[in-house]
Amino acid sequence: MNSKRIKLIVIVLLVSTAIVQARIKLVALPERAATVIRLDNPQWTLIEEERVLTLQQGLNKVDFSWKGVSIDADSIRLRVLDHPDKVTLLNVSYPPDEAALVWEISSDKDYAETVRISYLLRNIDRLITYKALADKAETAVDLTSFLVLRNFSGEDFERARVLLDYGEAFEQGIDHEETKQMLFLKVPKVPITKVWTFDAAKLPWDPEQLENKNVGIPVSYEIVNDSESGLGEFALWGGKARIFQDDGHESTIFLGEDVTALVPVGEKMELYIGDSRDIVVTQRKMYERQINKRYNKRNQLVLYDTDEQITAKIENFKDSPAVLTMIQHIPGQWEMKECNMEYEKKDASTLEFEIKLPARSEAGPATEELKMHYHRRNVRPGVRPQISPQFRR
Amino acid sequence: MKRTMLILLIIVAMTGVSRAKVDLVTLPTRDTVQLTIYNSADMTLVRESRALTLKDGRNKLQFSWANTLIDPTSLEMLPKAAADKIDIADLSFPPRVRNLGLWNIESRVSGKVPVEITYLTSGLSWRAFYMGTLTENEETMRLKGYVRVTNRSGEDYENAQTRLIVGRVHILDRIADLARRQYPYGRPGEIVPMIMDERRLGLPAKRAMVTAEMMAAGIPTAPKEIKKEGISEYFLYTIEGKETIPTGWSKRLLSFDVDEVAVVNLYKYEEQRYGRSVVRFLSFKNDEEHNLGDTPIPGGMLKVYRGVGTQGHLSYTGQSSFKYVPVDEDVELNLGAVANVVVEPTLMDFSTDNYRFDNRGDISGWDEIRKFKIEVKNTRDIAVKVEIRRNFNTSYWELEKSGDFDELEEVDKDTVKFTLMLKPRSAKEFEYTLTTYHGVRQDD
Repeated sequence: MNSKRIKLIVIVLLVSTAIVQARIKLVALPERAATVIRLDNPQWTLIEEERVLTLQQGLNKVDFSWKGVSIDADSIRLRVLDHPDKVTLLNVSYPPDEAALVWEISSDKDYAETVRISYLLRNIDRLITYKALADKAETAVDLTSFLVLRNFSGEDFERARVLLDYGEAFEQGIDHEETKQMLFLKVPKVPITKVWTFDAAKLPWDPEQLENKNVGIPVSYEIVNDSESGLGEFALWGGKARIFQDDGHESTIFLGEDVTALVPVGEKMELYIGDSRDIVVTQRKMYERQINKRYNKRNQLVLYDTDEQITAKIENFKDSPAVLTMIQHIPGQWEMKECNMEYEKKDASTLEFEIKLPARSEAGPATEELKMHYHRRNVRPGVRPQISPQFRR
Repeated sequence: MKRTMLILLIIVAMTGVSRAKVDLVTLPTRDTVQLTIYNSADMTLVRESRALTLKDGRNKLQFSWANTLIDPTSLEMLPKAAADKIDIADLSFPPRVRNLGLWNIESRVSGKVPVEITYLTSGLSWRAFYMGTLTENEETMRLKGYVRVTNRSGEDYENAQTRLIVGRVHILDRIADLARRQYPYGRPGEIVPMIMDERRLGLPAKRAMVTAEMMAAGIPTAPKEIKKEGISEYFLYTIEGKETIPTGWSKRLLSFDVDEVAVVNLYKYEEQRYGRSVVRFLSFKNDEEHNLGDTPIPGGMLKVYRGVGTQGHLSYTGQSSFKYVPVDEDVELNLGAVANVVVEPTLMDFSTDNYRFDNRGDISGWDEIRKFKIEVKNTRDIAVKVEIRRNFNTSYWELEKSGDFDELEEVDKDTVKFTLMLKPRSAKEFEYTLTTYHGVRQDD
């Protein structure tokens, strides 16, 4: 089914006596020549099409109309390609209650003039999807990306050059209501880093209290969009990524899926694949007291410090080593008195630990224990600075 | 019933014009099929191999899947031979047709080419469940693990290699929802385009077919084995041989059978969690010492029985669901409240002391002293372990204890745990004095 919903009609006005005339539609339907679908803007798709107009010397009216498609009328542009000095667009008028416009073009001679018409067309777009196939050791992925063209614009495009914001243009036809999926990126052996993250503000502290539920530690793969990864030529568009893994038996398993945001060159793409139940964190507050208490004259507590101790036991039940990123939060003003592990202060109240866990041994799971002994300073009763609900135990 | 269909159309290009003659050539059947079934989400990865007969030039391959629950966005085809000569140009979902995909293939070879088609489908599932049989003295347990695979996908899978994934997978959209979309990737601007009121896919079982298959397969001499291996954060269970699971059917398979798993009869008392009753736990460890520990144990329901007498009779003890158990971790099965082990805390004495007054003469601080006696009775014929947790609701406390208990552990800032081992038909008693500090006494 060929639905031509965009029409172009050239009306030649033989005598122009500056009077408003009825629009006479003459049968000169120039076929669409080179068509470009530009998908570089994520919100709008720009269509550029070239047509040859048979212009006569004098004033020509060109009627451009559309039906059943959604075109932003203000976006329509006309560009004269062959004789830009001799052929001039004089004005554009919009007829009442019609999806159309009329160009008035003056020409110094008779020409078969090639023009380029461009406009923004709705309901035609592109999606990007990713497929990552990890090796068994989880050190690299074969990254492929597909471009999915969706055309629900109402217009069939028999043949068009499709342009993205990078890469080569390609020829593709796409009908109304058609969806096409094409391979457009294939990079083998992109190095990945596997990360496990425990955020004390997001995950439960004590699995024992949870009556038969596992606490999953989120696991992600990190890919850097740079030349070392075989990438880095352009920003990776956001989209849904499905991650698979080679199972060592000439087959694969599905690991998980995630949506990535746009990843500019040099930045990291983080793909959350699922939760690990083989790393278990048990965090408890072992000690909490108010110290340095100050009272007002009515003997009401107005200011105090705290003395707190937190321990977090990390057990690795896996038969491979892992590096756990542990995020702890201490709200307000605080001072670390003693901590048995090094941390990086990410912001005023966030501490990040990189905890290296060896593999499980014959003796049992590999166990590490984080101990933090700290004071919160100048706490006012009733004022709780940025305490997340998890923290208030 | 085959609902996925593969049709190969060969386009004989005619004089380079866009018009082409379309010929229907072959209907290749599935040679092999592999199912990788997840249980944390309704999802199965299907991998099937077929041999296509390609011609030099442009080929069109049509794949249709009406009445199944296949996610079209997951469809993928890979040539397994001559991959450099076969270019899969695109996969197109033509307008106004549902459940149909068209691959455009440019081939520089002609003849048979093996290809692999993979996709995700919904409707197949599996779950683990367990049966435990305690010896009469309740010291050891025979533990049998089962998996039950159910096919409600709308598609019969014959002679499929069946694999199960243990683990929690992260998915964004339900495969069943993706399968029911009108357009594979939706329309621009639409968020979740779904067709509601889809005809239910509950299909009548076909007994005749299954019996026929079993006859053909011969009579097996032993239950099939399940091979288990770790991969990323998951465990992969591969069921020996091939399985045929028609749609609507389930199959129960033995996953493991281990005898003499040493168990501890653990009884817990914690008022904050279980109220004033004793809760029975059966605990063991997923390790070598307990004849386990090869792989993690997927979560599921365990029904516990106890052998009675010498005739192999059983009595039902209770059931408990348990979570995923990594290798070397303890398993604690909550079998519910019991009356044959008794824990009775009694407040024997209460007093207050050390009052402090502010400058207006009002009370600003004091101590509270509570003396508890805890009696623990084991009325059973077997030895038991009892754990008693006491929560103090304040972190300003001191404890003095005396009497007959085996271990005391500070669990966190306001909780302690007493552990006692009791012989058959015995009792123990211990006391503690808890001093809590209030008001300005917390500063002292």
